[in-house]
Amino acid sequence: MKNKLIMAIALVMALVAGWAATTTTAQAATDNSLAKVQKKGTLIMGTSPDYPPYEFQATVHGKSQVVGMDVAVGKKIAKDLGVKLVVKSMSFDSLLVALQTGKVDMVISGMNPTPARRKNVDFTHTYYQGGYSIVINKNDKGIYKDKDSFVGKTIGAQTGSTMYNESKKQTSGTTVKGMTSVSDLILGLQSHKLQGVAMEKPSAQAYVSNNKELAMIPSHFDLSASDTSASVAFAKGSTSLVAAANKSVDQIRKQDLVNKDYLPAAGKYLKTNTVNTSMLHYWKAFLKGIEYTLIITVCSVFFGFILGVLLSLARMAQGGVFATALRWLATAYVEFIRGTPMMVQVMFVYFGLGLIVNLPALMSGIIAISLNSGAYIAEYIRGGINSVDKGQTEAARSLGMTSGYTMRYVVLPQALKNIWPSLGNEFITLIKDSSIVSIIGVSELIFQSNIVRSDTYRGVAPIAVIMVLYFIMTFTASRILNHFERKMQHD
Amino acid sequence: MTKPIIEVKNLAKNFGDNQVLKDISEQVDTGQVIVVIGPSGSGKSTFLRCLNLLETPTSGEVDFDGQDLTTLDTKKVNTLREQMGMVFQNFNLFPNMTVLENIKLAPMKVKGISDTDATKRAHELLKQVNLDDHADAFPTSLSGGQAQRVAIARALAMDPKVMLFDEPTSALDPEMVGEVLNVMQDLAQQGMTMVVVTHEMGFAKSVADRVWFMADGYIQENNTPEAFFSNPQTERAQDFLSKILM
Repeated sequence: MKNKLIMAIALVMALVAGWAATTTTAQAATDNSLAKVQKKGTLIMGTSPDYPPYEFQATVHGKSQVVGMDVAVGKKIAKDLGVKLVVKSMSFDSLLVALQTGKVDMVISGMNPTPARRKNVDFTHTYYQGGYSIVINKNDKGIYKDKDSFVGKTIGAQTGSTMYNESKKQTSGTTVKGMTSVSDLILGLQSHKLQGVAMEKPSAQAYVSNNKELAMIPSHFDLSASDTSASVAFAKGSTSLVAAANKSVDQIRKQDLVNKDYLPAAGKYLKTNTVNTSMLHYWKAFLKGIEYTLIITVCSVFFGFILGVLLSLARMAQGGVFATALRWLATAYVEFIRGTPMMVQVMFVYFGLGLIVNLPALMSGIIAISLNSGAYIAEYIRGGINSVDKGQTEAARSLGMTSGYTMRYVVLPQALKNIWPSLGNEFITLIKDSSIVSIIGVSELIFQSNIVRSDTYRGVAPIAVIMVLYFIMTFTASRILNHFERKMQHD
Repeated sequence: MTKPIIEVKNLAKNFGDNQVLKDISEQVDTGQVIVVIGPSGSGKSTFLRCLNLLETPTSGEVDFDGQDLTTLDTKKVNTLREQMGMVFQNFNLFPNMTVLENIKLAPMKVKGISDTDATKRAHELLKQVNLDDHADAFPTSLSGGQAQRVAIARALAMDPKVMLFDEPTSALDPEMVGEVLNVMQDLAQQGMTMVVVTHEMGFAKSVADRVWFMADGYIQENNTPEAFFSNPQTERAQDFLSKILM
């Protein structure tokens, strides 16, 4: 236990140091990126699928999957390399980190090859040259002409995107509000929190043609070519892979595949999406969300409980230098975990540990939440053990029972009964807090609802649905926990 | 009387600066019933708890069956504790288990006795303390007197050589004291070696082989009950007896 804890702390320190280093320094001189991809037979593409027609979720043959012109580009590159394309969804902010930490092989997400990004990743040639538009409410048509009409108003753009930076730079007297997903931005627009949303022209067209309440105006941003073009990003230093991908990209440009094939195909998917936007139609998506939410919660409570028992025993260790060290380490762990946001812990486990072992998102989420929950449960258990009368221990010891047996058969069962309400509370909190893992692309309920929102262009209905679903889950859980609490009462 | 089963040599116990036991050297022979009496705060309970090492003595020896407990490792202490049953003022029954489970737990977990044998033995002991009809009850449903009799049965289930009683009737309503004392008296008549800390002078008079009078961290007097109650030697004992026996 002690050794493991020391190792964990050393690991954390190494990661903190390593993280800073890897993001700036180039990869090793020998570039085997192309050979590596060909050897494993798959090309993993990272994308943020809430940006039609570039990439978005659609139901194809009854299954929800990521489609759009960027996916077509990805497929073409994979096909030309002779490997299979795997699409991984995550938030736009996380894409480049995922690329740098090897979670994905490439990023295609309508990404502009800006000089700042070029410092950290390598880009292919441009596969599409777009431009910016601003989406507004149809009723406001005539009030707003272009980017300069929003003095004293608020416009929105996707956080981490070029539009966000340019909107900040090229407007004056206008508030620029960043949000992670475009669906949220559109919702903000429709609820009049925003007066306009800056986005790529094809996206704007997609939204406007699918939502009769919206209209689009030209942005008139002064832009360099790199700001409006979209390129494929690869990890820094993967020259061979970039060169291979460039062949595909050049073909795409030469044959104008984007305008001829990819965009029309994406448009078709968009139409099928909006044919039936009732929430009932998306029950499968919600069911999958519930399934993952429950998997994460149950696993995390289970492992968190085991960790919590060990930590609480370590915190109460008595006698000797070893016990003191153990106590100190456990206390430090609990304080540290309680003192840092769970969201940061989730990202750290997924991206940070990802530098050493490549953990899938779901497993990373479960690990991070278990580690977090363990710290809280440890405190409950410690309180529970202290609440058991000392006479119980004395009686057990006087019967010749060892301290281990005493803990296991006499103290812990009583402690558990005392802390059952707190544990139940933790379980219910976790059902809700597990939503944090949506940031690393685990398809739990929040993540799924975001997909449904961008699929259907309906902002509020999916939120209402998951609110009810969360309540059903927590309420059922609390009924079940109450049942066991009653069963444990002997008095 | 045969060889001593417990021998205490120069026992002292401090709690911080507070010296509770100063210098105690006494012995208990097999089959003897010792009653320890004395004013509150004189260290009687601490003394008793030093005998099975629930309190670790500051200095001195506690020899049990010829072995000095203070020099043994934890594992050996656990084994020797099995042979010293202890009954507490507050019963300390395990509230999450039935009466039967309370009695069976240690024999099964510590001695590895089978469930069937442990159950059989538990029922015998419950008959002995006249509570067999309460085998499946939970401790919270028992009266104080019943709970204490279960606690005695639980201690006896380990077949101890010595029974230690720490004020076993002090937490009981007066009408329940008798049933517990009767069980203890039966036990004494069966030849059990017992060390009893109590304020029940009647019990001391009728059951004890020796009375130890304890005050100020010392055993002030060690005498037969007849001699002690009729003719206390020390001023401290005379003073104590004058206060409790009008």
